[in-house]
Formats: sequence, C-alpha cells, structure tokens
Amino acid sequence: MSAELVLFWVFAAAIVASAGGVIIARNAIASAMSLVACFFFLAGIYVLLWAHTIAALQVLVYAGAIMVLFLFVIMLLSLTESGPVAQLSPSRILGAVGTAGLLAALVGALLRLPKTLPTWVSDTAQVQRFGTIKEVGQVMYTQWLFPFEAVSLLLLVAIVGAVVVAKPRI
Amino acid sequence: MNTPSFGLDDFLPVLPAAILTAGAILLLVSEVFLGSATRTYQALLAVVTSVAAGALAFSNAFLPAHAVLQGYAVLDPFSSFTTVVVCLGTGLGALLGAGFLKHRNAERGEFYALLLFAAAGMSLLAMSAEFITLFVNLEVLSVSTYALTAYLRRGPRPSEAGFKYFILGAFAAALLLYGAALLYGATGTTHLSEMAAGLGAAAKAQPALVACGFFLVGAGFAFKVAAVPFHMWTPDVYEGAPTPVTAVMSAGVKAAAFVALVRVFLFLGPVFDPEVVFVIFSALAAATMVVGNLLAIPQRNVKRMLAYSSVAHAGYLLSGVAALFAPATVAPKSGVLSASATWGADSALRGEALKGLLFYLLAYTVTSLGSFGVVGALERREDETKGNAWDLDRFSGLAQRRPFQAAAMAVFLLSLGGIPPTVGFMAKLLVFRAAVDAGLVGLAVLGVLSSAAGVYYYLRVVVYMYMRPAVEGMQTPERQWTTEFALAASALAVVGLGLLPGSVSDWLSRAGLIFGQ
Amino acid sequence: MIATSNYLILAAVLFCMGMLGVLIRRNALVVFMCIELMLNAANLTFLAFARERGDATGHISAFFIIAVAAAEAAVGLAIVISVFRARGTVNIEEIQTMKH
Repeated sequence: MSAELVLFWVFAAAIVASAGGVIIARNAIASAMSLVACFFFLAGIYVLLWAHTIAALQVLVYAGAIMVLFLFVIMLLSLTESGPVAQLSPSRILGAVGTAGLLAALVGALLRLPKTLPTWVSDTAQVQRFGTIKEVGQVMYTQWLFPFEAVSLLLLVAIVGAVVVAKPRI
Repeated sequence: MNTPSFGLDDFLPVLPAAILTAGAILLLVSEVFLGSATRTYQALLAVVTSVAAGALAFSNAFLPAHAVLQGYAVLDPFSSFTTVVVCLGTGLGALLGAGFLKHRNAERGEFYALLLFAAAGMSLLAMSAEFITLFVNLEVLSVSTYALTAYLRRGPRPSEAGFKYFILGAFAAALLLYGAALLYGATGTTHLSEMAAGLGAAAKAQPALVACGFFLVGAGFAFKVAAVPFHMWTPDVYEGAPTPVTAVMSAGVKAAAFVALVRVFLFLGPVFDPEVVFVIFSALAAATMVVGNLLAIPQRNVKRMLAYSSVAHAGYLLSGVAALFAPATVAPKSGVLSASATWGADSALRGEALKGLLFYLLAYTVTSLGSFGVVGALERREDETKGNAWDLDRFSGLAQRRPFQAAAMAVFLLSLGGIPPTVGFMAKLLVFRAAVDAGLVGLAVLGVLSSAAGVYYYLRVVVYMYMRPAVEGMQTPERQWTTEFALAASALAVVGLGLLPGSVSDWLSRAGLIFGQ
Repeated sequence: MIATSNYLILAAVLFCMGMLGVLIRRNALVVFMCIELMLNAANLTFLAFARERGDATGHISAFFIIAVAAAEAAVGLAIVISVFRARGTVNIEEIQTMKH
C-alpha cells in the first residue's frame, strides 16, 4: 500500500466519523467541534490532492474564521437542548430515503470513472507547479477577474446584511 | 505571463449593476451623514438609480450578442432586457417600501441599499456565462434577499421567514454547486460554452455522472424558481417577509432565476439529451401549474393566496421553458417520435418562446408588484403580530373606503387571472402560443384550464371589494403618495401593455438573440 | 497516486451525510452546519477533478466557494440570532407558526 492510500483511508475514516458526529451530537457545541475536526481532516485530504493553497485556506478561513463565528453564536445564545435530536416525520423519512437513493446513484456513477492515471502527471515541471499559490494566484488574477469582483460585491452585501439583521430593532 | 486586456466594451454590460451598486453605497453613506427624520429622499434616490440603470440596460439591448470579460459574462438582448425588468421591479419596490416602512417608522437607507444590491445581483446573474460566476452572483442576490426578508423585527414572522428562506436557499445553492462540480469533472471546464462543446463526448463516456450533475443543477434551480415539488418554502417565506420585499421576491428574484435557468439549459440541454430535458420541464410545468392553483383556492389569507399564485405563474413560465426544448418534428401517424426527429426547437420557435418568457416576466413584475403593493398598503401596524392581517375580510367594501386602491387591485387581479384587456392576458397568450407552436398542445390546454381555475380565487377578492359591505370599525392605514404613485404606474402599465403591447413586444423580439444560439 | 474515484466517493458520502442532517435535525444551527458539510463536499469534488485534469479551475472554484460560505455564514448566523431574539429558541419545530 502506498503512503497516499494509507493517509487517504485515515483521513477518510476521520472525515466520515466527524461528519457523523455533526449529525448525531445532541449538544450544538459538540456538533461544532466535530465540524472543526472534519474541516481539518478535509484539509489533509486536500494536501493529498496537491491542493496546498486551498488546504491552507481551508484551515485559515473555514476552521479558523467561520467555525469561530459558529461557536461564538452558540455561546452567545447559551442553547440548551431538550427533546429528541432528530425529528422523524413521514416527509423527513421520505427525504432520508431520497438521500440514500441519491448516494447510490452518485456512487454508481463515480465507480464507473476510469481508474487509469492521468497522463499529465508525467510532466514533472507541471506537477511541481500544480496547486501552488503562485499558479493559483496567476490564474485567478489574470483570468478570473469578473467572478473575483463579484465576490467582493458579495462580501460587501454580506456585511451590510449581517449588520441589518443583527440590529436589535428596526 | 499574459496580462488580460479589457476594452470599454467589456464593461458596458456590467455598468447597470455598477450604477446600482454605487447607488446602494451612496444610500449607506447617506444614512451616516443625513439621518434626518423623513427619509423619503432615500426612496427617490433608489428610484433614480434604478431608472438610470434600467435606461442604460435598455440601450445595451440593441447591441449584438457577444461574450465579454474573458468569456465570464455575455452581453445579449436577453440579459439586457432582464436587467430592464429587474430595474423596473426594484424602482416600484422602493416606492412601495417607502410608504410601508414610513408607516412603521422603519425607513432606513440600508433597506434601499439592500434592494439595489439585490438588483445588481440579478442583473449580473442574468449575464453570467460561467458556473462559478453564476453561483457567486446568485449568492449576491440571495444574501441581500435573506437580509431583506428578516429586515423588520416586529413579531416572530419576519425572522421565521428569513430563516426558512436562508436554509432552503443555502441548501439549493449547495445542490447547484455540487451538480456544477460533477459537470466540471465530466467536461474539465466551468464555462457554459466550452462545457456545451465537451458535454456530448462526456455524456457518451460517463452518462451517469453527467445525468447526476444535470439532476442536481436542475433541482437547485427548481428550488430557486419555486417549482413543484420544491415549492414548500414559498408560502411561508412570502407571507412572513415585509410585503414590499415579497413583491420584489416574486418579481425580480424569480425573473433572474428563470433567466439563469434558461441560459444554463439552453447551453447544455441540447448537447446532453434534449428529450430528457424536455420531458422534465414539461412535467415540472404541469405539476407546478396544477398544484399552485389547487393550493391557492382554499386560501382566505390574501397574501398567502398570492404566494401560491406565484407558484402557479412559475408553472406557466416553465411551460414556455419546455417549449424551448420541444421536438422539432413529430411523426404524423403514430404520434410518437420518429427515430429521426431532431430535438430542440428551431431558432424561430425558440425566439418566440424566449420573447414570450420575457414578456411574461415583465407582465408578472408589474402585476405582482401592484397586487402585493395594495396588500401592503392595507396592512395595519397593529395586526402584525396577529395572523389575520391579510384576511379576505380586510378587503370587504374596499371600493367604498378606498376606491382607487380597489380599482387598482381589481386590475391587478384580472391581469393575474389572464383576463383581457390586461397585460396578463397578452403574456399568457404569447407563452401558450409558443408552447402550441412547439407542439405542446396538451401543456397549453392544461395551462388554460388551470388559469381558469385561478380566476375563481382572484375574482373572489374582487367580489369582496365591490359587493361586500365594509366591516364595522375597520380602519385603513393613511395613504402614502409614494405607494399611490407606484400603484398608479403599475396599473397604467398593466392596462397599457395589455391594450398596446406592440412596441414593447417588438423590442422583446430581440430577446431571441441569446448568446451562443 | 490513487484513483480519483476514491476521493469522489468520499465527497459523495459527505454530501449525502450533510443532506441527511439538513433533513432530519431540529436544531437550526446544526442544520446550518450540515449545509457547510455539503459545500465542503462540493469543494472536495472540484479539487479531486482538478488533480485528475491538472487544471487550476477546480482550485479557483474551491477558493470562491470558501468565500461564498463565509458570506453565507455571516448573514445566516445573524438570522439565527434574530430568530432566537424573537422566539427564545432555535428549534425548527418551535419556530414554525404559520398556518397552511
């Protein structure tokens, strides 16, 4: 077994376990901590996928900033959980069955993908460059200008929206 | 390293959105420096901004269709006319919002700023030609609408509506995104035009992967346009949101989502499997028309009734979308398709269908804004926490108390029901004619029948307004000139476009000139 | 280098787990976290296909999705706070009041 395969299974098992923790934990804080763990292990998977830049961002932005926001809100509201964790009405059971069906369809489709190694991997120079900040940044700032500006608009809108909604009274 | 080069031409299509954004920022700044007691000037500023943006978009609509901004956006009459419709809706929405908020001492620059941000998002969404760009612009529009829905903090309803809208909107966005990721995997690109070029080969090599991607993207869009069976959130969100916001949601948000849906599926549908796309859109259209109308019939709550009616209208629009993918030739004898039948309407039919869709969006924008505007004008502040603010009884004897509002409401309801001489009739005529020309006779008949059922619940409100005596002690909120002006303008547009659709419908014929077709 | 389909199936499992959580959980905050799981599954899919093809598009898509998730989180959490202020709970069943 290659090192990649071992690491993949370690991270994959940890991701599935921590995602399961998010879904079944009774306490919202436990869910949030499981989610942080899940994001960390995902960052590990991203490194295996040679996406170093995104792995760093995953830890900084997702696990660092977004999850702190979540935890902050949970603490602020000091939630106490009562009653069952999940609600099982007929429509929700139908939804769960639909989810299982979707999973089966997806796995069926993905198993049929070719297992051969991509040809571009033989180009060592390209492999060296792939996923680095330099390459991602170059492509982003020379080609993806319009979506980049749209994201800046989105962040402005989100700031204004959050301030408006969180005001105690309008 | 190649640096990108832009010409002035590249920025022309995004200029309306830039004007809207600039107006929004100006409004935010005005809140800091000019926090005076009356803020009507803010509504007027929002109106001026949307008129300016709309006028610019209108002049763009007569330019030839071409890709701009390195292929991430397109400038075509289809997207430009959508921006015009969106700006019209935003301007009217701001006027309606002014009266509504003034009555509640809740006028703030942020409200109008968020309206303009949402309009900018809609305009950008209509021109996006790449999946990630489309997704980001969809989020610009969604995030501002989430905030607007939860804008008022009077009673539990707005926050409940905001929360539901947020959860389902984010869920739909995740479905759309995952579908886009699968399609990226199949084709190696997120640009719609390149994806269309590579999809044929990909669909042969990996049919299941491409089908999953299509299904998820379609489900995401179906949530956004509130098609049955993804419509469950609509009545609660529409009821709970502040009424002017509901009006903008039902008009502008829906228009932008429909246009994005049409663009994505016009690029990708014919390459993937037009037959499947056609069958799915026809089924969605039929289910949405029938279920929307059936659910609206028992409603005594007028705001909720209009919410279900907006679901039904999404169904009529979807039948226009289905017409885009109809089989071009049908085997004459057996009625089933011959093996040689080519799927996908020819360009003349497609032009008619696109024109019908845009005319319908325009008609629904003025009509829906007007009808929600009257509902909002009759809402009393004291009733907000109770559930009966929009009961049919509130409309009893409105003709005596407020003859102008009653007359305007009657015009809007007739238009929603599709009765001549209103614009609603012309719009239904165009969409259903496109459907019939494309061979979708059954769908068109179903549409006519279900809109006939719709006439029942629309006319019931008219009966209450004109034939029932007013309930004792029922007070109507004082009149606001901004609201009256918006209602008069919408009513005028509803009747005017219904009687003389000529020039507008000629302009909209250019909408058939959609990029890449 | 192991086959990309391993990563893709992991992403599909993660996506469906998130979807299941959205459908069955009662706590509004946890439902929101499950949506984050779904977005991460989309990210993982983009990155896995990016390596398969040696193409930076998937990386940039993931970059934008993280930004969008941050924007959504800001507004979404503000809405959860306003729900809590109005109701004193974030339980989805108790939030529902509107009649059908």
